[in-house]
Amino acid sequence: MSDFLRSYLTVAIFGGVAVALVGVLLGLGSFLRPSRPTATKTMAYESGVDPVGDMWSQSNIRYYVFALMFVLFDVEAVFIFPWAMRLETYGYFGLVEMAIFIFILVLGLAYAWRKGMLKWV
Amino acid sequence: MDFSAALPVADVVAFNRPAIDWHAASPELILLGFGALLTLVDVIFLDRAKQYTAALAGIGLLVTMVPILTLANDMSETGPRVMFDGAYVIDEFSLIMKAIFILSGYVVILLSTNYIAEGDYWESEYYGLMLSAILGMVVMASSRDLISIFVAFELLSIPSYMLATWKKRSLESNEAGLKYYLMGVFASAIMLYGMSLLFGASGETILTKVNASLSSDPLTGESLSSSTPVLTLAVIFVIVGFAFKVSAAPFHNWAPDTYSGAPIPVTAFLAVASKIAGFVALVQLVFVGFYARADVFQPLMWILAAASMIIGNLIALRQTDIVRLMAYSGVAQAGFILAPLAVAGDVGDQALASIVSYLAIYAAMNLGAFAVILAAARKTGSTSIESMNGLFSYAPGLAVAMTIFMFALAGIPPLGGWFAKFQIFFAVVEQGGTWAIILGVLLAVNSVIALYYYASVARRIWADQAPDGDLTPIRIPPSLGAALVLTVVATLVFGFLPGAVSQFTDVGLIAGG
Amino acid sequence: MISLIAQITTGDDLLVAQNIFWWFFALVTVLAGIKVVTTDNIVHAALYLVIVLAGVAVQFVFLGSEFAAVTQVLVYIGAIVVLLLFGIMLTRGSLGDDQLVDTERRGMGALVALLLFGLMAFSLVDGFEDVVLPEDTRNLIEVEVPIDTDIDDDEFIRTQRGSDTAAIGDTIFESYIVPFEAVSVLLLAALIGAVVIARKE
Repeated sequence: MSDFLRSYLTVAIFGGVAVALVGVLLGLGSFLRPSRPTATKTMAYESGVDPVGDMWSQSNIRYYVFALMFVLFDVEAVFIFPWAMRLETYGYFGLVEMAIFIFILVLGLAYAWRKGMLKWV
Repeated sequence: MDFSAALPVADVVAFNRPAIDWHAASPELILLGFGALLTLVDVIFLDRAKQYTAALAGIGLLVTMVPILTLANDMSETGPRVMFDGAYVIDEFSLIMKAIFILSGYVVILLSTNYIAEGDYWESEYYGLMLSAILGMVVMASSRDLISIFVAFELLSIPSYMLATWKKRSLESNEAGLKYYLMGVFASAIMLYGMSLLFGASGETILTKVNASLSSDPLTGESLSSSTPVLTLAVIFVIVGFAFKVSAAPFHNWAPDTYSGAPIPVTAFLAVASKIAGFVALVQLVFVGFYARADVFQPLMWILAAASMIIGNLIALRQTDIVRLMAYSGVAQAGFILAPLAVAGDVGDQALASIVSYLAIYAAMNLGAFAVILAAARKTGSTSIESMNGLFSYAPGLAVAMTIFMFALAGIPPLGGWFAKFQIFFAVVEQGGTWAIILGVLLAVNSVIALYYYASVARRIWADQAPDGDLTPIRIPPSLGAALVLTVVATLVFGFLPGAVSQFTDVGLIAGG
Repeated sequence: MISLIAQITTGDDLLVAQNIFWWFFALVTVLAGIKVVTTDNIVHAALYLVIVLAGVAVQFVFLGSEFAAVTQVLVYIGAIVVLLLFGIMLTRGSLGDDQLVDTERRGMGALVALLLFGLMAFSLVDGFEDVVLPEDTRNLIEVEVPIDTDIDDDEFIRTQRGSDTAAIGDTIFESYIVPFEAVSVLLLAALIGAVVIARKE
């Protein structure tokens, strides 16, 4: 195995330990606690109010726009990383290219803002 | 001071700043600038700027034509301009195509002006998305690299999905957008898979280099007399992806529903600009990227061309809605344009020239037909073929225009279409093989079938009575009138002076092909 | 000599571990992928998709493509699955364990999927079966890093093994500037279109 993958062994061990820890704690809990479910106990908790309607309710389309904007700016961020790695090498050339890229996307943000899509109703 | 000599590790990769030919890139930059300006104006002034956005978009397109003309003027001296190691090429082919995209985009904006304003649809966004789709097409015309082609394809497709659903309150329009979107992303996925296989086999994205690696085995480096399964699959996947875009049968199912549900100007845009962009990509892939694998793409193109012509024409015979008729006739026309690609490996130059001529003429006559449909629908409010009955009795100008476009589409001399069809026919027959002759016969038979339904539309216009005897004339707004005049003139010029087209489309259009 | 032998043995040992991990993650990915299309609950399908995408990210790590792996996690798991879940919550009022996914054409779908799988598996195996991945598959570039020193100029800059992220940056800024800028327009168009479609009149 290359050194490169060897360094990921740490990640694998860390992940394994995390899963094991959660499993052990939850398992221990279910082993120790008494289990006497009643209808009231299994009811969904809504701040002490009796739950109304279904578990799933149709959400507002506005939230979708937020999620979509998150995707777009996430993708933008992905493009910024490679540029940032070699910032000095690319110099002004890279700076201008990236400035155009970001400017166009900021236009999108400004657009959504001006059209009132960023208000959390 | 040269650092690299003193460095302990020899293979330092220095960053080579690419040389950018600003003149060559200016059409794209101008379009990008106008698109950004349009959005900026919308962001700052909101609804107050609404009535100027159509004009701004139109001016943007006309300004973009300037560098295209100067580049064309310089072309004889400079030759093709190659950027980024062959990934982006400005040659005669790309300039002709860019001009076609921009002019047809301009006509579509003329068609849209009143339609969008009177229908109370979103205006600034409409033109912004239109410009970005046209930018995608303009980029496509120069892309000679898999990644550029894919991004350009998405850039022209994604705004089109939105535009197809622009009549938000109409269920048909929603259906149109949704069907187009689902089919489109499906096509993208297939195409991208094919491209990934090509990259895997060749390690290259630039088409000329892909072509070089297609002619030899990727592992052993030996020259390949026939294709390997992975290369065959890659080529087929990429071509099938674009077959969706150009609505070639059997990948045409979305077209009729999308065309009839979308706003009519958008339909014109999809049927002309968007479809031509698909062909541009196919032409570049076939002539530059896959040329070594004629044994794979020729049979595939043969099947697509034959199926599109037959299926498109036979279904078109039974249509009662003029937009659906245009959709199916568009499928058949796609078959015509694909036909030369089935012999491209043997008679390359001729096939390419015939396709380019056809695309130019196709744009003019199809846009014109949609302009008439749009004008007629302003009065009748319907797109059924019956609503065209007796058009001559109350709108003689429109009737003459529609007759010109219908006969041009059918290929009756001396209108534009005949030259296009003859070019295609001769390119196919020139090759001379059995399969080419069969395809030539199919072309001839299908021209006759198409003549039947185009002529029957013309007959309704001239011979039938107007529905309910309503003879109030149609008021044609100036922008729509301008679009009609432009398309009629183009169709006539292409027909009477075919040299005007063939002069540009003669030989060796694609650099590095 | 001794060091050479040591290298070979440790190499072999670890390759076994690498193979075990590879098979484990490949199997998990494929099983989760099958669950995505067979589960009746569309929310569960979305959550299985997370496992599939994470599995693909792990495969990218095995290939030495850290950038692709991180992008996979950041964009696909972090954003697209969230978008998918929002989409599910938008379109359906209630979601239970009832039959929500259309199963009418399951047979046909399975047939097409099998055919496509057979076709692709055959051509991939045929085309690439002899290819051996190099042990260190990273596509690295050497990056010049200035170091704090005032000895002579020759040592002023030393090289450092950069990650593949820098290599990708070089490729973007050397050859793919046009698609790079086109992507920003694409994202802007997608945002504007989505706002128009999502907004109330």
